[in-house]
Amino acid sequence: MEIYLPIAEMSVHWLIILGMGGAVGFLSGMLGVGGGFLLTPLLIFYGVPSEVAVATTASHLTASSMSGVISQWRRRAVDLKMAAVMIAGGFAGTIGGVYLFAFLRKLGQIDLVVSASYVIMLGTIGSIMLRESIAAVRAARAGQPLTAPGTAHHNWVHGLPFKMRFRQSRLYISVIPPLALGFVVGVLSAIMGVGGGFIAVPAMIYLLRMPTNIVMGTSLLQILAVTAASTILHALDNYTVDIILGGLLVLGGVVGAQYGVRMAARMRGEELRLLLATLVLLVAVRLLYGLIATPSDLFSVTVGTP
Amino acid sequence: MKRAFFVTALLVLLPTAASPDELVSGLSQDLVEITSNYTGTDIVVFGAIESGNSAETPTSRDVVVVVRGPDSDMIVRRKARVAGIWINRDRITLGGMPSYYFVASTRPLSQIAPAQSLQRYQIGLANLVPKSESTHIFAKGEPFRHAVIRERERVGLYSAKPNGVEFLSYSLFRVRVPVPAGVPRGQYTAEVYLFSDGTVVSAQSTPLFVDQIGIERRIYNFAHEWPFAYGLAAVFMAMVLGWLSSLIFRER
Repeated sequence: MEIYLPIAEMSVHWLIILGMGGAVGFLSGMLGVGGGFLLTPLLIFYGVPSEVAVATTASHLTASSMSGVISQWRRRAVDLKMAAVMIAGGFAGTIGGVYLFAFLRKLGQIDLVVSASYVIMLGTIGSIMLRESIAAVRAARAGQPLTAPGTAHHNWVHGLPFKMRFRQSRLYISVIPPLALGFVVGVLSAIMGVGGGFIAVPAMIYLLRMPTNIVMGTSLLQILAVTAASTILHALDNYTVDIILGGLLVLGGVVGAQYGVRMAARMRGEELRLLLATLVLLVAVRLLYGLIATPSDLFSVTVGTP
Repeated sequence: MKRAFFVTALLVLLPTAASPDELVSGLSQDLVEITSNYTGTDIVVFGAIESGNSAETPTSRDVVVVVRGPDSDMIVRRKARVAGIWINRDRITLGGMPSYYFVASTRPLSQIAPAQSLQRYQIGLANLVPKSESTHIFAKGEPFRHAVIRERERVGLYSAKPNGVEFLSYSLFRVRVPVPAGVPRGQYTAEVYLFSDGTVVSAQSTPLFVDQIGIERRIYNFAHEWPFAYGLAAVFMAMVLGWLSSLIFRER
């Protein structure tokens, strides 16, 4: 049965949308990522206008990070203070990002910027992860113990001013890096429709040196707040949040995520990372192809006021 | 404006003109309602030609049906390759192009009337011109105008059926007009023209409305009239769904 989306102003098959949400939910449950980086391009390939795709994915991420935060909260794996600092940066970034989004849309360059940022982000992260996970898989096959990244070493981050104590993370560091990290994630969320966990998690582990078990919950709480803000701002400025589309995606997503989590329990960590890296690189290559290949029609038409 | 004037002038002038044939037409429905399971529909434009003088058989008699959607501005961009990447470069705004256009006729338009009169009434896809254009150089604007027609045809919002007028009897005809999913909302007009030997001898214009109804309409209005509350509602819904899912799948 086809269903009409009142904001996207198009009809879609509800099973396809549920399936999309389910598939992305499955992967995000399995790989521990939000899945925004997959969902936004998928929706755009399906024909949803890119501004609706970005804004609606943000509301989808609100739901998935909500259930994530609850389960992490039960394990007391959320550093509230750290999350609050990152959220403060995140709100500033989201506001800036939504205005940048509206400005780029006016210039007609929003599709280019969205695609190009995806290519750069995903390409970089995918390559790093691929290298790391291949090394890890090889090491595991050869039976060698892994050398864990050192957490005791101090880096440049510890030389910055405005230090603050984060009890739960057992850190005494400057507030500038978490603020800046939150800001970057906020901008990404507004422009690309992603939660930004794939940036925030590695940065929190390697740059801020937070304990790994707290990173996930803290990052999820920040994603929850930032995507909620992003949803409201997109609804206010661009009228692009489609509640029906969002609801269908969430329904598919929450079910898919549960199966993904169970699947993950049966797989090895380094294999999961290898899979994620491959996926990330595939999306990047597909988007890069879209930028380079000669389009079938050089002209594009937008209806409405510029 | 010019086109509207011609149509009005025709409607006013025709009854007094020495025309043997007259046109009567109607629509199967004058309101297309977009509901939650709307996937497009067909409306039927039907009509009859009432011969003023039955003894005389016209040499050539053609019916052309045009359905136009509300006008909207089209921003057209042309990509150019910059450092290996395709980037939107030139931009032209075409003001007041129809958002939907359908034309059906008894035979190919070029055989019905000379190009000039088709242009005057904007009959035929190639004869659609914007009310205003952000360039005054004709040669510069033309490829952009063609691009709009091409793009709208591709998404099914512009279409032409050269043999789309079905005659059920000597004087009775009907046309199926496709109204695909994704049509813009607003006031449409269905225009029926009767051509005789290449000139318009009768014309009729009927309004048609396309609108969302029911829950879709309410959601759309909600999003546009109370955007902040709408955003809050979207976030609230997402949070509740997320919370529910963590409850349902908690112990399994």
